[in-house]
Amino acid sequence: MATVTVQSLTYTYPKQDQPVLNHLSGTFPADKFSLLTGVSGGGKSTLLKLIAGLLPNADDAITFDGHPLSSVAPTQRAATVAMLFQEPSTQFTMDTVQNELRFALENQQVPAEQIAQRSDTALAFVGISDLKFRKLMQLSGGEQQKVALAIIVAMNSDVILLDEPFASIDPPTRLVLLEKLVALCTDRGKTIVLADHDLSGYQQWVDHLAVLADGQLNLLSTAETQQRFAAFTPQRLRLSHVQLPTDQLTVRLYGTQLGLAHGDRQLLTPQDLSFYAHRTTLITGPNGSGKSTLFKALVRLGHYQGHIAYRDTDIKKLRKRHYARQVGLMFQSATAQFLNVTVAEELALSQKYGNSTYFTPERVQSLLRELNLDGRDDQVLYSLSSGQQKKLQLLCMLMMTPEVLLLDEPLKGLDYASIQTVMAILTTVQRELDLTLILISHQLSGLDDLVDLHLQLADKQLTYQGVSA
Amino acid sequence: MNPSLKLALITLIALEVSFVQVWTVNVVLIVVSLLLMLINRVPWRRLLLLTIVPLFFASALVWSLMLRGDASTHFLIVIFTRMFVYVYMGGWFTLTTKPLWLTRSLEQNAKLPSKFAYGFLAAFNLMPKIQAEVSTVRAAALMRGEVLHVWSPRLYFKVILAAMNWSDQLAAAMTSHGFVEGAPRTHSLTVPLVARDWWLFCGSLVLVQVGLFIGLP
Repeated sequence: MATVTVQSLTYTYPKQDQPVLNHLSGTFPADKFSLLTGVSGGGKSTLLKLIAGLLPNADDAITFDGHPLSSVAPTQRAATVAMLFQEPSTQFTMDTVQNELRFALENQQVPAEQIAQRSDTALAFVGISDLKFRKLMQLSGGEQQKVALAIIVAMNSDVILLDEPFASIDPPTRLVLLEKLVALCTDRGKTIVLADHDLSGYQQWVDHLAVLADGQLNLLSTAETQQRFAAFTPQRLRLSHVQLPTDQLTVRLYGTQLGLAHGDRQLLTPQDLSFYAHRTTLITGPNGSGKSTLFKALVRLGHYQGHIAYRDTDIKKLRKRHYARQVGLMFQSATAQFLNVTVAEELALSQKYGNSTYFTPERVQSLLRELNLDGRDDQVLYSLSSGQQKKLQLLCMLMMTPEVLLLDEPLKGLDYASIQTVMAILTTVQRELDLTLILISHQLSGLDDLVDLHLQLADKQLTYQGVSA
Repeated sequence: MNPSLKLALITLIALEVSFVQVWTVNVVLIVVSLLLMLINRVPWRRLLLLTIVPLFFASALVWSLMLRGDASTHFLIVIFTRMFVYVYMGGWFTLTTKPLWLTRSLEQNAKLPSKFAYGFLAAFNLMPKIQAEVSTVRAAALMRGEVLHVWSPRLYFKVILAAMNWSDQLAAAMTSHGFVEGAPRTHSLTVPLVARDWWLFCGSLVLVQVGLFIGLP
């Protein structure tokens, strides 16, 4: 049991002038499940990392039952506080589940003869004893999060922090993890702080809500929390003119008995699948169900079962160089797309090889103005905010105007105004150049104008939705 | 054999044969390493690869030395066999030693600070990630009309950038699982270091010395 108290915490990232957290104070009570919420980029991750001791924090503004982490013996810090990361695969050092558990327990100086037993108990608690000897990198994101939780259980940490832990995992796994967390909280008296910007599906589990806004933390009472949950309506997908594909449409990409797998888990059972030219197709489906894996297969970056044909030729028989210009992918992570150092260099590359008759320098300049990116020519790409990176990434890929452009979460982390601008640009360019767009998006509002076809991934099958024309 | 002693043994022998020119000892070392790999059931395809690659380089080296004409036959044989000594001994070591077992041994037997031992292991576990990153960067470049070759600096710039990011992530991962630099740890598995290991180590070294002494002209 431990109560986490934050007293007037200010934190500024190195080389930035604005503090992310500004004289923030608050308490996360012992044996309670607190949900930390706030807009993306509002400092939730920063706060959790500071509490976990993963970011250096000289003044002892954060205390556990009155003691700062620096006064806890080094080998007992993990028993005080532990954190589950947003990106499942980045939290392990070892190769197998068993070795990672051993590593964590050895660090805590658990006597050798107790290690095996404690590991097994923790794995059994989370219900993943069968994963014990598996290689961590071959597990799915959901399984990796379960392993990470089992390790925290084995370390017997008093305070458990979770940073958007469900961002890339499927709903059933999310439910299992939530049940385990509540059990840890009520039966074992653990303090749980979970950060998420989406409030849907937490109402029955969470004791109270902590809202982080403008560098300040506001803790709501139980009644206020329930009110807030009741007022929160999850985004709904509204598509008014989506129809089932007709025979008149041209098939651009065709999958024959196309199947997808992650490790030994089948994501898509082999099926025939068409993507249509000059239309915008939206793909929806639960987290971790295989949408990004499908995109990787389409650009030959991942394994797949069956065949994929582009304009009736198997894509494996096409020259890589040629095919990459026909079917492009806007990666989910913006930095994966960038090849240069400054904004101007990145734009120049797209200008050089892309469709320069439509994207004249003047047009690019006006688009940059619309996106609030003008006058940043000499700025280093990696020092842009994540929203700015995302917008620049989109512009660079649009300028390439491939026949088919795959967009993996193009609106991720953008604020409302930026979403409107980006959607307007996408819609205009798609119409004027008659592009084929296929997109994955969790951000569902504002898509109505653009989307013509809707593919849903459910029960390992992709099916077109909508009314027949 | 204990992994740390095994590493020390092959390093010492490799160092020694690079200074002394006795081709008979080289041949004996090649045969012994080959036998050890066969006993440990190293797959044939691996062995073939371990033979063909150095054969190409060793032959090229010897051929170019012959063309220049002032090296003795003895020296050429020494150079030729030396290449195989390195490759086969290295092959025996890497193909019969598990990285985690070596890490544990370096930490427990050689008293290497755990920071280095686990840093080395984590870097080893990053290998598949680096390969994936390289193919992603190349694909991203192709989509922008640029072909990145194995020798393109831009490819390495991106991969190094990614690696810097990973190193931060890895440090966070180790910390959150309780790793503290310099703090004492327990060991769930003990790597044995027994008299037999020392006998094998010293015995092998003595045999090599004797061989070198006899073989010297």
